[in-house]
Amino acid sequence: MRFLNNELQRLKEYSGIAEIGDIARRYFAMNAFDGILTMIGILMGNYAAQVEDATIVVSTGLATSIAMGISGLWGAYLTEAAERKRNLNTLEDYTLTDLSRSKVGRASRAAVIIVALIDGSAPLLASLVVLMPFLFSALLRDINLSYRLSLGMALAALSALGAFLGKLSKESVFLSSLKMIVAGLLSIALSHLLRVSR
Amino acid sequence: MGEIRRLVLDVLKPYEPSIVVLASQLSELPGIEAVNISIYEIDRKVENAKITLEGYDVVYEDVQRVIEENGGAVHSIDEVAAGKIIIEDAETLQDALR
Repeated sequence: MRFLNNELQRLKEYSGIAEIGDIARRYFAMNAFDGILTMIGILMGNYAAQVEDATIVVSTGLATSIAMGISGLWGAYLTEAAERKRNLNTLEDYTLTDLSRSKVGRASRAAVIIVALIDGSAPLLASLVVLMPFLFSALLRDINLSYRLSLGMALAALSALGAFLGKLSKESVFLSSLKMIVAGLLSIALSHLLRVSR
Repeated sequence: MGEIRRLVLDVLKPYEPSIVVLASQLSELPGIEAVNISIYEIDRKVENAKITLEGYDVVYEDVQRVIEENGGAVHSIDEVAAGKIIIEDAETLQDALR
């Protein structure tokens, strides 16, 4: 327990030094949004193709979310590592010292790992939330109900994300949620044209 | 060797960790009774701090380690007082003429 407390304290300190919180929040919101909209695309694509086998929807959805997770993890790791290294180098030029072993250097390295993990897990988690009804499709039985529930989950997740951002910016939570839902509805509507045009 | 009672350092440090953290950590060192840090110049990425430490046994190496651990660099040692009591620098004729 004491070890955990110490680690949390250290993480808090690193977060203050390397401003991990701000960037992690931004990445989380951005990538969770990407994840949800991609899942809407997957759902609508499957729906347009009249896929009635839940395992196909789940496997395409999971494969896409894994790819998104890896893309987020790798992309964020490489960009953050490069950006943080550049910042540390600049700071070292100013102080004329090697900061790699100092708290600043350690915080910078921790920031890269934490941000990459958040960037990778956000779309993965968001996708899993959206796909949830298909994971229980055996219980639901009706595949159309699974599609509807999944799209509902996607809109609910978008709304929650909007509320999170609204609370963060101290704007209207309702308005912020609405903006997110509009993006989801637009995506659903445009994808629906695929089915209509068939 | 006699104990250092007061140490005044000129330090260049990044904004973070803040001087609040640095002062707190320095004050936890054994032999140190009081710490004062004041910022006298702010640059784009770093700041210059005057660090004053007083105690019954200020160990410079320990102080330097904490400063470097926090990303700072000691530019100069501006004042040292050692011995049984702390004395200020004595006024000379040159000072009076200034």
